[in-house]
Amino acid sequence: MAKYLIRRLLHGLVSVVIVVAIVMLLIYSLMDRQLIFATDNVYRNLGNNAQTVYKYQKWEEYGYIDYVPYTEWLQQLAKNGEIDEETRSAAASIGKKSKNDSEATKKYVAKFTKYYKDKGYKVVRLKAIMVYKKKYATGGQQALFAWKDKPLLGRLGNYFKGLVRIDTVSYVKDEIENRGLTFTTRDPVYGGKKFSPAIIGNGTQHKYLLYCNNQFPYLHQNVISINLGKSYTVNTGVDVFTTMTTTQGTYVMRDVLYPSGHAEKSADDLHTATYVPNSLENNASLSARFTDNYTNVITVKNGKSKIGYSFTIGIIATLLAYLIGIPVGVVMAQKKDKLVDKIGILYIIFIMAVPSLAYIFLFKAIGGKLGLPTTFNMDSKNKLMYALPIISLALPSIGGLMRWLRRYMIDQMNSDYVKFARSGGLSEHEIFSKHIAKNAVIPIVHGVPGSILFAMTGAIITERVYVVPGAGNLLTQAINMYDNGVIVGVTLFYALLSVIAIIMGDVLMSLVDPRISFTSKAR
Amino acid sequence: MDYKENELFTVEGMTDEELFAHVDHNDLESEKITAPRYSYWKSVFRVFFSKKVNWFVLGLLVLIIAFTYIYPAISSYDRFENITNAAAKHLTPNKAIKLFGFNIHNILGRGSAGQSTFDAVWYGSRISISLALICAAINMTIGILLGAVWGYSKKFDLFMTEVYNIVGNVPYVLLIAVLVLVLSPSFWTMVFALTVTGWIAIAYFIRTQVIIIRDRDYNLASRCLGTPITRIATKNILPFMTSVIVTYLAMEIPSYISYEVFLSYIGMGLSDMSLGKLIFEAESAMVTPGWGFEFWSPVVIASIITITLYVSGQNLGDASDPRTHM
Repeated sequence: MAKYLIRRLLHGLVSVVIVVAIVMLLIYSLMDRQLIFATDNVYRNLGNNAQTVYKYQKWEEYGYIDYVPYTEWLQQLAKNGEIDEETRSAAASIGKKSKNDSEATKKYVAKFTKYYKDKGYKVVRLKAIMVYKKKYATGGQQALFAWKDKPLLGRLGNYFKGLVRIDTVSYVKDEIENRGLTFTTRDPVYGGKKFSPAIIGNGTQHKYLLYCNNQFPYLHQNVISINLGKSYTVNTGVDVFTTMTTTQGTYVMRDVLYPSGHAEKSADDLHTATYVPNSLENNASLSARFTDNYTNVITVKNGKSKIGYSFTIGIIATLLAYLIGIPVGVVMAQKKDKLVDKIGILYIIFIMAVPSLAYIFLFKAIGGKLGLPTTFNMDSKNKLMYALPIISLALPSIGGLMRWLRRYMIDQMNSDYVKFARSGGLSEHEIFSKHIAKNAVIPIVHGVPGSILFAMTGAIITERVYVVPGAGNLLTQAINMYDNGVIVGVTLFYALLSVIAIIMGDVLMSLVDPRISFTSKAR
Repeated sequence: MDYKENELFTVEGMTDEELFAHVDHNDLESEKITAPRYSYWKSVFRVFFSKKVNWFVLGLLVLIIAFTYIYPAISSYDRFENITNAAAKHLTPNKAIKLFGFNIHNILGRGSAGQSTFDAVWYGSRISISLALICAAINMTIGILLGAVWGYSKKFDLFMTEVYNIVGNVPYVLLIAVLVLVLSPSFWTMVFALTVTGWIAIAYFIRTQVIIIRDRDYNLASRCLGTPITRIATKNILPFMTSVIVTYLAMEIPSYISYEVFLSYIGMGLSDMSLGKLIFEAESAMVTPGWGFEFWSPVVIASIITITLYVSGQNLGDASDPRTHM
């Protein structure tokens, strides 16, 4: 069994990699890159060469290309000590046209061109655009840069390499003293008096690698972090996984004692401090609070995370669906062609045929008439605002479960073993509960892990209609805003969930039905 | 079957001549094995039309098709004909009839640009229903053909199962969004986006059905007797699957309409005024008192269309199951 499962898991992981590759191919190679500027006002306001340069810069930012401006290359050379500062500044100013270049510039431009051409880059030189002899047109400055499309395989490799990151003491590139880990039983965040063990790193990305607090699961770690990909527009600069899992809403202010001894009411969670180079010396408000460069903290908010909201709604809806759908389906099969069955079938037809958008709006209208809150508000303490999203998610699943369970039950009712049981004198109740129901739920069981796991991803329409700040809208939002990092990250997340869900479904099915075995060879 | 309906005769007081007639012995006749003539499709329609509700549903279907395809052809509709007339916008049916007089254009009121909601809905459903029909036709054809091969060939099965696992994990919304972005949101782009991977679920379904039937004893016997595969496929397997296919088709067509509505709602739909786009654009009218009609009419009519298609398809599927023909 274990061997089989590992093989299945590996197979699944391979297909996850291929899925990510396909998605990367779709968004980085097939999609029109010009589209990301459709709503970009900065782009529209720039003219001539400045617009072109901005375009390439953005493309690099969004992960499409590698882009190297000539000046950056010269700076790199100067930093490596290959040229001195004087040569750099002499070579940096390029002429309006290539034939206007000074001797020094010409030499380095040729070097630059050769260096990047050999590496497969395209070198672009934009001539200055002039209104008249001494006046540049808006954005008409000359420019020189090299660019190259990022290859798919390299991109894929880098993505999966950076997926799981383990924090080490050599993370910080700057020169710092006392690199290493310290273990303390008195966490300084709590004033150093209370007993609370923690591991504090110096030189690591996170300051607190292991710490305790009063929130489930009480012991937290920052050693292993998951990076699904950085967001460009949806939540600029933040990883998709963090976007999905950090709390939302309004700040929770409480007394915070900063490392410098400064105490104030703040929402900062000092346990999340990460290293930002040179942040302390450049910022007065930070240097009043912190004593080292671990200054980037996440704030505590009163709401749940995106996944938190989606999962709360999704899991309750799933539970309700199984609790209602299965008994109703059984009753419908028992009372086949009677009134209960007919009403049930009408309901199933309604759910199956009517567009989901239509009935969600119907539920919203009815719920609104009954006085239930129709929009979600993170600051509200009213638990009733969960009611309509949960109902809207549960009712269709109930319909689906009813439909399939009724079908499976009726199929079982006509089989020979039921006739035999009946001729053996078993009561109808016994036949239904011990024989038919047991056999009929087997296919239903297969879907249970899936419906639980996919409760996390949220439902697109429901969350949109009721303004739930959940994870369901993340993908559509990312697509609308051309946020490639988020698209890839969310895809990977979905693909992993579905691979795990199918395997767990198979395992659960083999547990419920001993006849199903994955180890013995197929007959 | 027939004997149940015949009442019993009273034989008392009848002579032998009245009760019996002499029949000559005929060698030729006695060699014939007679069974009632059975025509599959005739039986399908007999069973289908024996239910009263099917007449009603079919009537509704004809009415819908007439309104979606014939009505727009004979009535002219200009979305912006009243764009400058502020008094013609957002009207309930009552007000519209008062303002424009009673005719068929006004029975559902007027929309945000002063256009007739009734006309807009049928122009929209023409696009939505055409999309659903074309997508269903393409997906079903490819799905059934490939699914049959997939179920029959074990080598192909291994390969296709992997393809299915991979394609099934690419988010459908993402695929459609990218294709729409690449190819501009026109009608045929949408058809392409919905069919490029849409067939695979159908093929998988058909594959499972074929595998169930493939190794049944009568097929084994047929193979042992040397029946060619094409004959097994067309005569042994296909008739078994007709009802399954029709039932599946009944779910497919409304699902494309729903999907189009969904895509329009999240802003990734067609540029044409389809049903989904109508609902999307009128969403703000739902909460505005007095404007409700322009939102609920496309929603209700879309629901009626999908329910009619679904029920008629399901019942046709039931009727095409040979087990119901007895």
